[in-house]
Amino acid sequence: MGIISRGFHGRRQDGPPDRVPPGQYLTDDFPVLSAGPTPHTPLEEWTFDIRGGSEPVRWTWDELQALPSEEITKDIHCVTKWSKLDTVWQGVSVDTLLDAVEHDAGYAIAFCDGGYTTNLPIEDLTGGKAWVAYGYDGEPLEPEHGGPARLLVPHLYFWKSAKWVRGLALRDDDEPGFWEQNGYHLRGDPWLEQRYWGD
Amino acid sequence: MSDPRVLDGNAVGGLLHDVFGAEVTAVPCTCGSCGARGEIARLVVYVDCPGVVVRCPACTQVLITIVRVHEHACVDLSGVGRLEL
Amino acid sequence: MKTLELDVDWDGHRAGQHLDVRLTAEDGYQAQRSYSIASAPGERPAITIERLDDGEVSPYLVDELREGDVFEVRGPIGGYFVWDGDEPEPVLLVAGGSGVVPLAAMARHWKRVGSSAPMRLLYSARSWDEVIYRDELEHLGIGVTYTLTREQPERWQGYARRIDDELLSEVAFPASEGPRVYVCGSTHFVDAAADGLVRLGYDPASIRTERFGATG
Repeated sequence: MGIISRGFHGRRQDGPPDRVPPGQYLTDDFPVLSAGPTPHTPLEEWTFDIRGGSEPVRWTWDELQALPSEEITKDIHCVTKWSKLDTVWQGVSVDTLLDAVEHDAGYAIAFCDGGYTTNLPIEDLTGGKAWVAYGYDGEPLEPEHGGPARLLVPHLYFWKSAKWVRGLALRDDDEPGFWEQNGYHLRGDPWLEQRYWGD
Repeated sequence: MSDPRVLDGNAVGGLLHDVFGAEVTAVPCTCGSCGARGEIARLVVYVDCPGVVVRCPACTQVLITIVRVHEHACVDLSGVGRLEL
Repeated sequence: MKTLELDVDWDGHRAGQHLDVRLTAEDGYQAQRSYSIASAPGERPAITIERLDDGEVSPYLVDELREGDVFEVRGPIGGYFVWDGDEPEPVLLVAGGSGVVPLAAMARHWKRVGSSAPMRLLYSARSWDEVIYRDELEHLGIGVTYTLTREQPERWQGYARRIDDELLSEVAFPASEGPRVYVCGSTHFVDAAADGLVRLGYDPASIRTERFGATG
């Protein structure tokens, strides 16, 4: 705890405690967080792959668009402490994608244009909890927010919702991704405040 | 909506001072991927993310990652080829 | 814009350095910002803050802070983007908006030490109203050239556009004089100015840059 500055409050808003996890503040805007340059893969070259099952499976952009999709309204929580309520997305459930693959993996690593990775237990990717999202707020997902498509796993801290996602590598072990190798929690449940290793 | 800030090594001079215990913005750093060499102040730094990510200005590979974990810092230098401290 | 003089217990700073300010609220919430030191070495560290309406820190520092208030400061920071005054080469300072702050410290230092190195400041701002330290910069004895990119006062005779190769060639020292350059401003501004100077024949190693990001 630093030296307290009289009269300083910061700009945070608190929100309803049943919707805002511990240590989080509400925001009205949608901060763009980036650890690197925004990739720009042309849609004709874009693919989504699932590897590590009995056979690799791939969808092109058009094939992904042809899959059943849904509108998803969820609260999102970034480990940098901002939360945004009722965000509206359009995308394909990861259940739909994993149904096309024969596998018995317990974990997956999402891999992305630009080299970003993040790991998740299969349980956190299934049962209607995760999507490959290509629309936000009624519009195509913008590149700085992860477009053309990002992973969306809103029940975990938002670093798990990997931008510019290009696929999932299924695994038997929980191999840490980029932030998880650098001090962040392997799972990242905001309601348990699992921000860092050992939390 | 504000754009994420892409800055340079000057912007994290204070943080790096805490990490290395010395002023390092003028320290030459060689990229472990492409061999490009330049002062830490010339490196490309992303600060709007759950940590600080420092990349090579020539090839964009990640050189250094710093995350403040509670009372300490997790510092990954694996992308750096050499630092001439 | 407001300039604050800080009482710190460090030994002094170098022209071009910055400091980090950390504010802590009663509930432990913290916010941190970096500010270039506007004053010359030998003077108390002063920072100039641009108040952004939707900012988190600048409205506090500009509106709320009273004499005697305390906050944490870390610094002085920087060992690359500094000018100590004993270098003999001509010095070209290129400022984009608030990037003028550390360059003004260098110009003030130039005057204080009575340097004989020729020094020029090329200062790009959106309008005349946004030019800071106006009177002071013009009385230091360095060459000052403004370019006002968005609007200009009536009867403005100076440059009225973003920095380009032609403007640089008219204002910058010839590359053959081996000048040292300090460019400070937004990433976009810095990249454009540095690239332009390299096209004029400047050695990239002679161009030192500091990129500012917008924060409140």
